[in-house]
Amino acid sequence: MKYFNLKKDDRGIATLTFDTPDSNVNVLCFDALYELKHLLSEIQIQKEIKVLFIESAKEDIFIAGADINEIKAFKDESIVKEMLSKGQEIFNLLESLPFITIAVIDGACLGGGLELALACDYRIATNDVHTRIGLVEVSLGIIPGLGGTQRLMPLVGFTKAIELITASKRLKGDKALKLGVVDASVPSGYLEFKKEEFVKEIFSGMLDHKIQQRRKGVKWYEKFLVVRTFIAQMACRQIEKKTGGHYPAPLKAVDVLEESFDKTLNEGLQIELREFLTLSTGKISKNLIELFFTSEKLKKETFSKAKSKTIHTAGVIGVGTMGSGIAWALSAKDIPVRLKARKMSSIAKATAKMMKNFEALKRRGRLSDREIGLKMDRVTYTTGVDGLSNIDMMIEAVSEDRTVKHKVFEELEAVLGKDAIIATNTSSLGITELVKEMKYPKRFVGMHFFNPVAKMPLVEIIAGEKTSGKTVATVVQLAKRLGKTPIKVGECAGFLVNRILLPYLNESAKMFEEGESVERIDALLEAFGMPMGPFTLADEVGIDIGEKVSAILYEAYAERMKPSALLEQMTAKEWLGKKTGTGFYTHKGRKKTLNSQLEMLRSKKVELKENTILDRAILIMVNEAARCLEEGVVDNARYLDMAMVMGTGFPAFRGGLLRYADAEGLESIVSRLSTLETEYGERFAPASSLVEMAENNKRFYP
Amino acid sequence: MKTEKTNTLKERIAIVNGLRTPMAKAGGKFARMQADQLGAVLFRELMMRSPVDVDEVDEVIIGNVAQPIHAANIARVIALRAGFPEHTPALTVHRNCASGMESITTAVSRIHAGEGKIYACGGVESMSNIPLVYSEKMTNLFSKLAGSKTALDKVRALFGFRPGFLKPIVGLMSGLTDPVSGLLMGSTAEVLAQDFGISREEQDAFSLASHQKASAAKASGRFAKESMAVVYDEYIGEYLDYDDGIRDNQTIEKLARLKPFFDRKNGTVTAGNSSQITDAAAGVLLMSESEAKSRGLEPLGYLRDYAYEGLDPKRMGLGPVFATHTLLKQTGLGMKDIEIMEINEAFAAQVIACEKAFASKDFAEMHFGERKAVGAIDPEILNVNGGAVALGHPVGMTGTRLVLTVLHELRERGLQRGLATLCIGGGQGAALLLEVE
Repeated sequence: MKYFNLKKDDRGIATLTFDTPDSNVNVLCFDALYELKHLLSEIQIQKEIKVLFIESAKEDIFIAGADINEIKAFKDESIVKEMLSKGQEIFNLLESLPFITIAVIDGACLGGGLELALACDYRIATNDVHTRIGLVEVSLGIIPGLGGTQRLMPLVGFTKAIELITASKRLKGDKALKLGVVDASVPSGYLEFKKEEFVKEIFSGMLDHKIQQRRKGVKWYEKFLVVRTFIAQMACRQIEKKTGGHYPAPLKAVDVLEESFDKTLNEGLQIELREFLTLSTGKISKNLIELFFTSEKLKKETFSKAKSKTIHTAGVIGVGTMGSGIAWALSAKDIPVRLKARKMSSIAKATAKMMKNFEALKRRGRLSDREIGLKMDRVTYTTGVDGLSNIDMMIEAVSEDRTVKHKVFEELEAVLGKDAIIATNTSSLGITELVKEMKYPKRFVGMHFFNPVAKMPLVEIIAGEKTSGKTVATVVQLAKRLGKTPIKVGECAGFLVNRILLPYLNESAKMFEEGESVERIDALLEAFGMPMGPFTLADEVGIDIGEKVSAILYEAYAERMKPSALLEQMTAKEWLGKKTGTGFYTHKGRKKTLNSQLEMLRSKKVELKENTILDRAILIMVNEAARCLEEGVVDNARYLDMAMVMGTGFPAFRGGLLRYADAEGLESIVSRLSTLETEYGERFAPASSLVEMAENNKRFYP
Repeated sequence: MKTEKTNTLKERIAIVNGLRTPMAKAGGKFARMQADQLGAVLFRELMMRSPVDVDEVDEVIIGNVAQPIHAANIARVIALRAGFPEHTPALTVHRNCASGMESITTAVSRIHAGEGKIYACGGVESMSNIPLVYSEKMTNLFSKLAGSKTALDKVRALFGFRPGFLKPIVGLMSGLTDPVSGLLMGSTAEVLAQDFGISREEQDAFSLASHQKASAAKASGRFAKESMAVVYDEYIGEYLDYDDGIRDNQTIEKLARLKPFFDRKNGTVTAGNSSQITDAAAGVLLMSESEAKSRGLEPLGYLRDYAYEGLDPKRMGLGPVFATHTLLKQTGLGMKDIEIMEINEAFAAQVIACEKAFASKDFAEMHFGERKAVGAIDPEILNVNGGAVALGHPVGMTGTRLVLTVLHELRERGLQRGLATLCIGGGQGAALLLEVE
């Protein structure tokens, strides 16, 4: 046997241990499934077996899920159908074994792993932090395909099944017990006792009665069709609101649950399979899976061969929006952080901002007051230089001004230990140039967080010419400790994300100047899948900041990034966006209406073609992205796509900017860009690498 | 007969650095910070600023009088919250008003005994959070209720209830009452005022001076040198960076208008000429002088020697005279060798009584069997930045603050030797002899 070991004792207790060879995880590949089938058919006739425990030999993992590589390869519906049907049969066999089966879940039990556990009679889970239980298929654009939808619903009821599956919830042991997904939840140290207790109760015939009493299952009101229809509708409406209707998987999951509610298991499995087939062979799931692989790759990426040093205490200088966000991220991960600002009042305000983030977690039940208190205990502050010599690293987040930053760096070099790293949260200034007069340039590095830090997972890491490998490795490790995704990018103006995003905002502004409507452009791009339209985004970021960055980019990239005059005019009028209440929109509380005075900034009105608007906004980004890749600003197309998804909310269902280009076809992209070039000017001239790739029929994703 | 201590410490103890929080009026700015939180903020900052790593500290010793019920052995709670490693032990000490000195002298003994090398010491007090306590009758009722098995028993127990049971015992007042003499601390000050014939006017004038000196020290930035700013409300982002008990516009008229608090009919001791009730924390980092030298450190100052003495609880306010007398004998020094002196201003009357006793031959004769007075205090060197009347007296913390104040003042004036002394509820005195290089 390759994947499973079977042991039996003289009481008739058999233990089947899943132990994928040469790996520290268990995933449910078809190979393993077939082996399981073989095993089960052998033991189903063994009369001496009374109880079968199914366990994992891996630390922290029961079964992490199905093999995603196999799902990624699903293309032909009929082949997939055959494979999945077989899989369903294997779990049916498991379910129908003549003895009691119990899944022992001590670690991640996700997707296909939980589907296997659900096919057992009972489930014992541990309540340790590493134990997470859930059907998470929806996050990869598919639905459970091995009976998950069918076997979960009788345990937790219709409403809860919808909630758990559509939101890809990962439950802790205790929560899973409360909902009825598992039948026991104990600390891992007591797991053996609990198993023995189950065995005794099985032998005494008490167990099933006890457990059936505990399980609540389908609620009485869920048995009415009207009620289910209503619940399903509400759920779909909520999902559409959240996803803009771009993600079919959660909606299909609701459909499957609704349609199969009063069907037999086999009928239900057919319904589940039918929807699984379309989703798993569709584009969106492939895109989401690619992004998943990219994120797995990034988790292992170090961006430097040097050894990192562990940061014990970090400082943050400049405690505005970004500084306090970074400080919060540090304290949330229990890293002592020292705030440094000129005025105590700024520091006090920063702690209030940090508490807002903590309060939000408290409201969601993630943290208690005691835990928040302990995290805030780690926050110290100074308006002078006291204690700065004791920190391992300082993150600078003062205003985006070369002179100000220079002065700060000089002050820091005078007080920090000479090994202490100095990271700057600049969003556009080059590191080499910025630190060329410093004593120890190798400790300087760019660490560009995005706003709001608490929510945005991306951190761009920028090395200057003299930045040491150790410095890079250290900040990469720190960013990961903060739960962020660090991506190393080149030192060019705007780095990666802003360099690509700004032309998009700029082009939108130009379309407005030409006479197109703000609301129409925003609506079109939202329909495309952007989390908000370009003008709404500009208002969020601040028009003045947009103007500043455009100026820097114009200086660096000349004509093709010539800023629209609009931003300057708006800045002069103090229409800075949300922060002043007026920008492209007028903001009142959470409501926004079009800024009625905007019209005076232009003389004409036109209506562009839908496709033209989308192409001007999106293809200008594709073009710039191709240039970034060409110049080596980022290591590969995957990382670029992940940066855009995480840094700008570029729609994940499209798999990223370059994956979108792939899907459209590079030849088409180049020809559309050329058309735009003729009509709107040089800025659309297709990047040479794009032209070359199109000619050679290449793709960003091979 | 008690052992007469004649040997002075064989080696000075270096006070490497020290820090305190601002002192905030009870029920005010720091009211929502429990003592352990105040201590955690202070000690984390102290260690951030100190040249020694938290790992190197052998023990954390903290004085605290009203030990909060949610934080038994508060020193341990503070140590963990302040980022000391789990393996660093922590001890809470209690010598009433001298708890903030006891933490230091306990460490001194340990260093001299060779038990450890480096100690983080200090005192914390949140007088805002001293709880009200149920009366004994109410407590009995609760335990009867908890013990009754049937509903009928519970009803029976409830019938024993009388509204009077709900009258709480004010923890703060009980804590400030000497259980042996039965006197409130303020009443012991009244005793001294009578003994030494100290008038209300004298006391008020002393108190006004305390505010004026403290106000000047605050304005000159003198206090900022020994204290840190504290964000006391993280939710709305409020901070305090000064001692908010100091009244910059205090006048003799305002003081004169106050009613006596402890003896309403004939008394002279008022809220205005007593120490204020405040919340604060203070801490210092200690090691032997040789350890500091070998590390190449420049300590804030040194503890040369110390003494504690007991006396009549009804006259506990004279504690400084007794303790100082012993300390001087122990070290062979005289009052003229002292260049800066801090006597904690528990009560204006009590400090004035001490001044008189220090200068009095009769007092020396009666209590020490000596012909000469202990020595008059030069008023120019006494409590030069005001004292507890203006700043407040967070009981467990004051001892540490006095040490900081003396050392900073010596450095400020380029002087060498100072004395920090205080009276202790229950009838004791403590005196610490401090030096700068």
